[in-house]
Amino acid sequence: MPEKERKPDELFEKAAVEYGPALERLAHAYEADPEIRRDLLQEIHIALWRSFAGFDGRCSLRTWVYRVAHNVAASHVGRQSRSRRLTLVGLDDLANLPDRAAGEESAGRRHALDRLMEMIQQLEPLDRQVMLAYLEEMDAASTAEITGLSARNVATKIHRIKAVFARRFQEGGRNEQ
Amino acid sequence: MSVEQIRLSAGRFRRKVEWRNARESVAALVVVLFFAFEFMRTNDLLARVGFSLIIAGMCYMVRELYSRGSWRRLPKDAGLSSCIEFQRRELERQRDLVSSVWRWYLGPMIPGLAVLIVAFARINPGHLKHFELVIAVYALAIAAAFVGIAKLNERAARRLQRRIDQLNELSSQG
Repeated sequence: MPEKERKPDELFEKAAVEYGPALERLAHAYEADPEIRRDLLQEIHIALWRSFAGFDGRCSLRTWVYRVAHNVAASHVGRQSRSRRLTLVGLDDLANLPDRAAGEESAGRRHALDRLMEMIQQLEPLDRQVMLAYLEEMDAASTAEITGLSARNVATKIHRIKAVFARRFQEGGRNEQ
Repeated sequence: MSVEQIRLSAGRFRRKVEWRNARESVAALVVVLFFAFEFMRTNDLLARVGFSLIIAGMCYMVRELYSRGSWRRLPKDAGLSSCIEFQRRELERQRDLVSSVWRWYLGPMIPGLAVLIVAFARINPGHLKHFELVIAVYALAIAAAFVGIAKLNERAARRLQRRIDQLNELSSQG
């Protein structure tokens, strides 16, 4: 059955099965606090469930799911940055931030994935959305459809983010030695 | 997550949000209660009018904050909006909110405060020296605070506009 002819509940169940783990990873990249993250994931699921009443097949189910999820998560980040005074940074600023992990030699080495996640959590929503799509192995065209950027811009952003992350990993590694 | 679980959690989530919104209103409620208490204490008609106007202004301000600024349900067509479009709309909403503080935040408080200042000036207990000067200093301090708040919000609006311009630039690059 084509997706646009499915009922909202069926669409939600399909999306929850197919994209459940990806949504968990997405929530993890947007919220570090486990308890608040659970709430965020729940909010994403609820927004998705409600959104399917308006799904008309103009875009793929995957694009729809990611757009809703990123839009909910970006709103969450906006609220949290106001109430908890979180500071999000652009790529240029992130490249120049001191690496907190670097000064924690006595606390032991941190897992690379944790550090990657921490860096992603510091990015502004749009950069974060691009990077998450890249980590979910989406091509530039799909990422462009979700974010609204051009495919060329997506490729440029991924290149820049990867370069900044690589530099910070190297700096962290050198400081830990 | 199954549909049944989602239905249950949607109800719980709505209640949680309502409770969160209610907690955010506590500060406004405390101020309203204070002015209501002062309203009961005074016999001066003009002061009572002033307290009533301030309470009305506070109620209007809280209502505007919830209808325009606070948590709101994600639009049903969120899946049709790309992340850039969605973020731009959100930023525009915030910019409009902070750039119109005179209309919904500061403005509604002015009539009540002005009436109260006049009422206090009339009630001069007589034994206080330079009473008019004290009242004038109070009025100036309030005016300065209002202008300060408006300036801070203007700055925030400009910051938001810069982010909107950046998004516009990104989305116009083909």
